[in-house]
Amino acid sequence: MRSFASLWMTLRRALVLAFISGAFFAATAPSVASSPAQAGPSPALTVKDDLGRTVAVPAAVKRIVSLQAEITRLVVALGAGGELAGIDYTMRRHDHLFKYIYPDEARLPVVSMAENNVNLETLVSLKPDIIFASPFEKQIVEAIQRKTKIPVVALASLGDTAKLADELKLVGRILARERRAEELAAYFSGGLGRVRDRLKDVPAGRKPRVYMSFWGSLTRTPIRYDPVAIAGGLNLAEKAVPDVLGSAGTTVNVERIIAWNPDVILVHGNYLPAERTVTVEGILGDSRFASLKAVKSRKVRYTFGFWNWWDMAEVLLETEYLAALFYPERFPAFDLGRRCDEIHKMFYGLDGGFAKLSAALGCDEWTHD
Amino acid sequence: MTRKQRVLGWLVILFPFVVFFISLSVGVVRIPLGDVFKALLSPVFPAMKEGLPENVLGIVLGVRLPRLLLAFLAGAGLSVSGASLQALSRNPLVNEYILGISSGAAFGASLSIVIFRQSFPPQVSAFLFAVVAVVIVLAISRKSDSPIVSLLLTGIIVSAFFSALLSLVEFFASPYALQGLFYWLMGNLGWPGWGALSISLPLMAAGTAGLILMRWRMNVLSMSDEEARALGVNLGREKLIVVILATLVTSAVTSVAGIIGWVGLIVPHLVRMMAGVDNRRVVPLSAALGAGYLILADDLARGLAASFEIPVGIFTSLIGIPFFILLLRKSKRIWL
Repeated sequence: MRSFASLWMTLRRALVLAFISGAFFAATAPSVASSPAQAGPSPALTVKDDLGRTVAVPAAVKRIVSLQAEITRLVVALGAGGELAGIDYTMRRHDHLFKYIYPDEARLPVVSMAENNVNLETLVSLKPDIIFASPFEKQIVEAIQRKTKIPVVALASLGDTAKLADELKLVGRILARERRAEELAAYFSGGLGRVRDRLKDVPAGRKPRVYMSFWGSLTRTPIRYDPVAIAGGLNLAEKAVPDVLGSAGTTVNVERIIAWNPDVILVHGNYLPAERTVTVEGILGDSRFASLKAVKSRKVRYTFGFWNWWDMAEVLLETEYLAALFYPERFPAFDLGRRCDEIHKMFYGLDGGFAKLSAALGCDEWTHD
Repeated sequence: MTRKQRVLGWLVILFPFVVFFISLSVGVVRIPLGDVFKALLSPVFPAMKEGLPENVLGIVLGVRLPRLLLAFLAGAGLSVSGASLQALSRNPLVNEYILGISSGAAFGASLSIVIFRQSFPPQVSAFLFAVVAVVIVLAISRKSDSPIVSLLLTGIIVSAFFSALLSLVEFFASPYALQGLFYWLMGNLGWPGWGALSISLPLMAAGTAGLILMRWRMNVLSMSDEEARALGVNLGREKLIVVILATLVTSAVTSVAGIIGWVGLIVPHLVRMMAGVDNRRVVPLSAALGAGYLILADDLARGLAASFEIPVGIFTSLIGIPFFILLLRKSKRIWL
């Protein structure tokens, strides 16, 4: 009897996991077009979001609720943090840097719980002009809009960093901050472009082979990780599962990692140090991995670019950091602390970004050799 | 016992040992049996290391050996627990999960993974809550006029209660922790290294050995209570010992490998079809067949695709259930 329940639980979890993974990359690119007003008396934009929905948004957005952490950070980067009326549970609980990036965050009420469970009464009471939501599930997005009568735009790059600049411009247009959006998009694209330029002549056979231990598991690994690809690395798990499954990651076995013999191992570091179940020290001290090139050369490092969403500042910083790690001879002047400060100043006006990042996540390991 | 049953019995006993050794050469990296043999002997005879590729020692001794030992003992332990509890309850559908052991262990592990993280290892937490679940079941059911029926019903209720608590933890879990929890709950033999196994394997071995030693008593326990008492058996004490040993084994397995379903239900039935209902044979043969079955299922889990791994708990269900249905249709009776 328990076994029937056990089977059902197993299948249910498999489906939920497939959904979580699949949703990560499943969306289409957003677009925007000027159009006659549909909501309220002022002229509006008509936006096509990442679910392919057409949403009419008011021209003057003064109050914003973001249920999508990626967009919350973009809103702050665009200088519209003061217009945030509420944030989501993930942002409050799992973004350990947000309090530095936006010191007023403590004033913002949390309007959702885990797994997209939104408190509609709280949401309505905040009277937002627009709600940014995650495109993880269409029904939830449409239900929120139908019940609250507030336009809901579902946006997220969902693993594709090439979409981040477009997404930024779209949010900038919705919030009437086009110039700031253009400035940040140019800074972001320019930074990634410089890395690409310096690495464009690296032959495929010379690219470092990279394994990533993610999501608190030694054997869970992302099959797509743009900062590694842009920084001239080869993600060993890239073709591990067929594209049609839409998975964000896969599980390999320890033997597979040994057989791959990676040049570099990256460990997901966006956990508080006390919460880390996989650590750089643990891998370096694991006798099973003693023969690996990455362990012998001590190229086992934390990575901080991916949270459960992408942040433009962290993507840029991590791409530059990985490029310098993979090809130190091509980036001899790279200074992690200085670039971390510069990038966070540019996006968030944050001073001393590296010191704060290090303090929050114990990430001074970044600089270890 | 017929000659055919005797021969079949010896084949079943040999089965896990043969599969164990062959499986040491199965995996992502192709390692000839000769090299496997040298790697196994190298800790005692260091000269054996000569000529072996650098990663072979790490793979055989550090990856495959602990994994196969875990599969061996987990398969044996879950099967013996299932067989023992079926005999005890005189109910063919009872298995090691019916007493809430698995749900308690799963909840305990989820608390550790999602909330306590590093400060409280999932193995310890899973074990503690498995014991809590069984203690609750025993405490509620022992005063009933019909202890076995009460035991089963209470087990289902407690199991449902801990499943609800597990859902609550899942609800609050971070996206990172949720992924780890999902995979843990699906059952996987590949994660624990020697460190985690140094506690769990002795517990599994001790519990399984204890149940095997009690096999003749299970014949008495599977009689009616009046008959058993007439034979001078202290029913309460004997049943409690069986339940405690089954809890020990199941919680030790669940704490390191997650939930691996159906082994404890299917294997004892297969053994009874082959060797009859005498628990003196059913219990040890279940251990042997269960060990071999889980090793084979894990071979499939880690060997079916070169670049990814499917949790073994999915395989034990996917293979076991159709096979079980086929056997039931063919035999047209429940063996107990």
